[in-house]
Amino acid sequence: MCVGLPARVVNVKDGRAVVDASGAQKEISAQLLEDLEPGDYVMIHAGTAIAKIGSDDEEETAGLLDALL
Amino acid sequence: MSKPAERINMGDAKKQAISMIRSYDGPPVRIMEVCGTHTHELFRLGVRGILPEQVTLISGPGCPVCVTPPDFIDAAVWLALEKQVTITTFGDLVRVPGSRDSLASARGKGAKVEVVYSPQDACTYAKEHPEEDVVFLSVGFETTTPSSCLALEQAEREKISNFSLLTANKTMPEAYKMLQGSADIFLYPGHVNAIAGNAVCQQLCRQGISGVVTGFTAAEIVTAIAIALSKFKEGKPFFVNAYPRVVKDEGSPAAQALTDKYLEPCDTIWRGLGEIPGSGLRLKEEYASFDAYRRYAIPKMEGKTSPLCRCGEVLQGKCRPVDCKVFGKGCTPEHPIGACMVSGEGACSAYYQYGGVIK
Repeated sequence: MCVGLPARVVNVKDGRAVVDASGAQKEISAQLLEDLEPGDYVMIHAGTAIAKIGSDDEEETAGLLDALL
Repeated sequence: MSKPAERINMGDAKKQAISMIRSYDGPPVRIMEVCGTHTHELFRLGVRGILPEQVTLISGPGCPVCVTPPDFIDAAVWLALEKQVTITTFGDLVRVPGSRDSLASARGKGAKVEVVYSPQDACTYAKEHPEEDVVFLSVGFETTTPSSCLALEQAEREKISNFSLLTANKTMPEAYKMLQGSADIFLYPGHVNAIAGNAVCQQLCRQGISGVVTGFTAAEIVTAIAIALSKFKEGKPFFVNAYPRVVKDEGSPAAQALTDKYLEPCDTIWRGLGEIPGSGLRLKEEYASFDAYRRYAIPKMEGKTSPLCRCGEVLQGKCRPVDCKVFGKGCTPEHPIGACMVSGEGACSAYYQYGGVIK
């Protein structure tokens, strides 16, 4: 149940947001995140956007491994 | 290791991490993936197949369905059959065996059980069905609990009085302490830390417990394991956040505040681990009207599990699912005996689904 679904924010209104996950659109709660704007990427869990996604996983892991070497 | 002449290209990160894992030549090490989603991804991606002999992966108790004790299911079945309450729940819980019935078998006796996508959908169901008493089965760790609180906020705001929660929410910090001898390194569940932040894990590191916050894509999982192995060889406790694109040190203050508004810590029983003081959450006194335990005066339930089931030991990493006598024989996803076989995130379910890639 820790499953998170990354999705792109389509629009935001009154603490709710419509998000797009690979073409499927769904309305979710956006109450936990401030300053959410269309185009942002978020992690969705149990119908709630729990975090903004900062960057691409490949980019991030390359940076982490760089730091290790 | 020497500094490479050039930076790792983005596309090469996975290859680099896999190479680091394959070439690990340090001492034997046990890595516990705490989160059930990680358990399944490790199998699905074939990560177990690239591990050197001396690296052992242990599946931990981070599947909320698996650690929910049978008396919770008994209470839900009792509410549905004796009080004619409509049970709303995540789908994973429907087939978890109680002492006698699961919610699925109770349906055959007249129980009304509605599967929902989110707690707020359960609250909306209550609003649209004012003639029914609706209870949401609120299970989950730090990641899921704020969503239940958002449902309570909605019920308060819209004065939905036929809605309440049956809580079995849990928190991880005390469980980590209990499990510390079971593994050398924890792969921390990224989405728990996205809410709770990293302070607890940093504190555990100061107490000698090592871990890496891990994301969920292939690149993130192999990178986290590569980091864990590399740091383990150095011989000192470590903490690394290998999922910073989602996890910030402070977590989600908004989610933490919401949880603190409605819930308070309590002692709770984890299936397989027993009672862990301070690892549960219950509704505060001022929200008693939303608390199904108090609202319906639920009696003490039997809470009996099958004596054949070894889910408890599986959850602590003391045995593998394949070491259980009934695994794959009496206990299958179609006819589960234990919760770890029911849940889509359970270790037994993962071993069964990806059988043959067992280590």
